Amino acid sequence: MSVAVNGNASSSGWQGQYYHIDQVLDRPGPRTDPSFLAGDGVKDFLRNQCKILVIGAGGLGCEILANLALSGFKDIHVIDMDTIDISNLNRQFLFRPKDVGNPKATVAAEFVMNRVPGVKVTPYYGKIQDKDEDYYMQFNLVICGLDSVEARRWINATLVNMVDPENPESLKPLIDGGTEGFKGQARVILPTITSCYECSLDMLNKQTAFPICTIANTPRLPEHCIEWASVLEWPRVFKDKKMDTDDPEHINWLYNTASKRAKEFNIEGVTWSLTQGVVKNIIPAIASTNAIIAASCCNEAFKIATSSAAYLNNYFMLIGTEGVYSYTFEHEKRDDCPVCGGQTMDITISRDWTVDRLIEMLVERQDIQIKKPSLSTPTKQIYFQAPPQLEEATRPNLEKKLSELVDDGGEMTVTATSLPFSLSIRVKYT
Amino acid sequence: MSAAASESQDIETVTTAVSTNPGRRGQPDNKTRRYDRQLRLWAATGQAALESSRILVIGASATSTSILKNLVLPGIGHFTILDHHSVTPEDAGNNFFLEGPKSIGKRRADEAVRLLAELNDSVEGRADHRNVEEVLNSNPQYFLEFNVVIAHNMQPALVDKLAKYLWSEPSHPIMMVVRSAGFVSEFFIQFHEHSIIESHSETTPSLRIDKPFPELHAHAMSIDFEKMDPTEHAHVPYVVILVSALEDWKKSHGGNPPKTYAEKQQFKKRIQGMRRKPDEENFEEAEAQAYRAWTETTVPSEISALFKDSGLSSLTPSSPPFFQLLSALQKFTQESPHTLPLTSTLPDMRSDTKSYIHLQTLYKRQAEEEKAKFKSLISEDVRETIGDEMIDLFVKNAHALVVMRGREWGSFDQDRAALAMDPSGKETAKLATHLAFSALSSLTLQHQTPTVAALKAEVERIAGTDVELPEEQLDAAVGEVARAPTADLPNMAAFLGGMVAQETIKMITRQYVPQKGYLVIDMVDMWTGAVGA
Ligand SMILES: [Zn+2]
Repeated sequence: MSVAVNGNASSSGWQGQYYHIDQVLDRPGPRTDPSFLAGDGVKDFLRNQCKILVIGAGGLGCEILANLALSGFKDIHVIDMDTIDISNLNRQFLFRPKDVGNPKATVAAEFVMNRVPGVKVTPYYGKIQDKDEDYYMQFNLVICGLDSVEARRWINATLVNMVDPENPESLKPLIDGGTEGFKGQARVILPTITSCYECSLDMLNKQTAFPICTIANTPRLPEHCIEWASVLEWPRVFKDKKMDTDDPEHINWLYNTASKRAKEFNIEGVTWSLTQGVVKNIIPAIASTNAIIAASCCNEAFKIATSSAAYLNNYFMLIGTEGVYSYTFEHEKRDDCPVCGGQTMDITISRDWTVDRLIEMLVERQDIQIKKPSLSTPTKQIYFQAPPQLEEATRPNLEKKLSELVDDGGEMTVTATSLPFSLSIRVKYT
Repeated sequence: MSAAASESQDIETVTTAVSTNPGRRGQPDNKTRRYDRQLRLWAATGQAALESSRILVIGASATSTSILKNLVLPGIGHFTILDHHSVTPEDAGNNFFLEGPKSIGKRRADEAVRLLAELNDSVEGRADHRNVEEVLNSNPQYFLEFNVVIAHNMQPALVDKLAKYLWSEPSHPIMMVVRSAGFVSEFFIQFHEHSIIESHSETTPSLRIDKPFPELHAHAMSIDFEKMDPTEHAHVPYVVILVSALEDWKKSHGGNPPKTYAEKQQFKKRIQGMRRKPDEENFEEAEAQAYRAWTETTVPSEISALFKDSGLSSLTPSSPPFFQLLSALQKFTQESPHTLPLTSTLPDMRSDTKSYIHLQTLYKRQAEEEKAKFKSLISEDVRETIGDEMIDLFVKNAHALVVMRGREWGSFDQDRAALAMDPSGKETAKLATHLAFSALSSLTLQHQTPTVAALKAEVERIAGTDVELPEEQLDAAVGEVARAPTADLPNMAAFLGGMVAQETIKMITRQYVPQKGYLVIDMVDMWTGAVGA
């Protein structure tokens, strides 16, 4: 163990610091690609040149930052728009009770720089959407540890859009991780080359949505009573006052309101914890799964940055509820992916469908999921969600049949302000 | 310790504050808030088990501290690190729970315990500076103070000795043996027997549509579909539709349910025929769930297999509660209707509130009755020691009970027949990797350098000639071990940290199903796989 190895000690480093890592950087393994240049060259790139961006400083982000720092990445940037909550402390191990209320990105960056000398972590407390292409262009790699689908779609589309075939440097590998309880996944996306995040949108678990008529008229489960309180009663009682699911007073009101309704209908099981779980759509999260998935992501980043072993092609899935089960496979690119596919998506609907009905479908469909879509053809504005004047002007179209506005086989463009891309669809009528 | 006391005081203050304000009943205390995201997985029972657990970790390697991190965060009761080494420059470079150069030369156990304990005030951490070999020789009972003993890349001779001692009594602690080298690793859980009530299985219990209990039957028979108004008709729960349709079917089929494919299709047609309008969703559900009418409710084969378990055949009044309950369950199933006790959980279905709640009440009442019958099959004194809470859980999870029997560390490698059985097709890579680790241990024991040639020769010696490993996979596994035999890579350490902690949590909480045999990990091609289960 105590054999000193000729690591290239930089100013802040020490002899032996990279004893462990250098074992895989000083020589190839049996499966290592012949292009791997063992030794000083690869170490120099990893430790002195490579710049990596971590999106999210939460459950996965804390783990990712620590792993990267120990692996020898020295120029790390991190973006997160959240502040620390007490419920983060069971897994986000860079935070302490005294940090509650402070920005995650800043606290995490400080912690890692203190713990691992010689590493520079640059935090940004804000949204990924605040940054432009020039900002993202400076990195060699991007790792995403987010719980938001919307944010992932945004960064995915941004990185795909950035690819300039003339400039290989513009292709930024994106490594994405996600967890839910004992389950998780890690994947490598090479924008425009492999399947992208948008390509696999239909793999997301569908959120359980209860029909409004059940909530309003025939509640059977405690969840129905909670939805009634949050979806129907809150707006009725408080009008325009926005519900804040992080405000205990608000949860308390919802809990009491749901309890009253449950009692009225003889429904059992409304609890504070369930109320909070339903209205915040809480996903169970534990340190161990985050550790596994974050390690998988960082391992891929390390392999890509050093070529010391082949990187993942392209999807790793883990289920830890019954023993340990994992599955590695190649997720296929979708030709009609609105981000990386280039082909128009064909949809077939009834001639009687109104524009409103079509919008409902665009929101619902697993492979589309566009929350507030605006629709237009090359010559017509069909419906626009914003600005208000345009929304008002196009609103009457909602009730009209689409077949009156768009011919059979006609093309339409769907956009949403939350997404930096548009979807081209070709409509066919039955 | 003092920090732990202050946290529990905090919780008390908060709880008192809650109880004086009736408008805030049910609002969680600080501890519940902290653990909210994990309580949704293993609930208060699992948390209590974690909080009373004591874990020993031998050697504060990067992997060891990663494992501990994921146990301290969710809140185990106590951990000890047994390690007589001082921090080397090499240690300081790959371990997040050492403070870089500042820690070099200090006691490794002290540094790691200090930095790990910071993660959670309610966990007690202790550093023990003695040499594990001396403790093992002079006072092996020391290890019995713990529930789980974890050893990462420990000297092979000591692993074998400690594992043997811990195996010698079924009541001794569980042992987790972890080995890693660069991009490959494996771990093994040594335990005698592990019974699980809350396996969190995704299989759902029977609703007994084929064998309706009297009240359900009477309720279904009392429904007059003809006389209902259209709204009522569209809200009859599918359970009632199916019981009614099956009863009807049986009348014209000699008392038998649909059996052949053609009959099953005919039965579905009948349900379609019961609709008044084509869009009645409750009838759509009934059609989709029609299999419940012809699937006979019996004791699931996994559960009847448990009735043959040695824990039952050797049952005494001092046997573990699980087997006392399993014995009662067996007796229960021997009587008519030869099923498991009814579950009271009714899935959601298209219905109006009144009909659904009524149906739910029928199931609850029957479930209570059957639970009472189940309880009567347990002797009075055993029932008192077990307590109602566990009995309730047992009945609720009767369809998904699990009993696992483990094996002794190292026994697989000596079982030539099992080794030869294991590899098939793509599966050989994991066996090759496992054997590469066994070979590494054996070379370390003989003070030999683990070259590719030496490792391969050793694999052959261990496995014998009956095991046929494709050259390519053996080379891949052995080559990766030889490339970095002593490398505890940060990412592998973190990965193992998650895996081993997760399996430890499953063992302690007795919830979810732990891994059997060796779990082999390859982070070059990103796969995991089990051998020697
Ligand atoms: Zn795509």
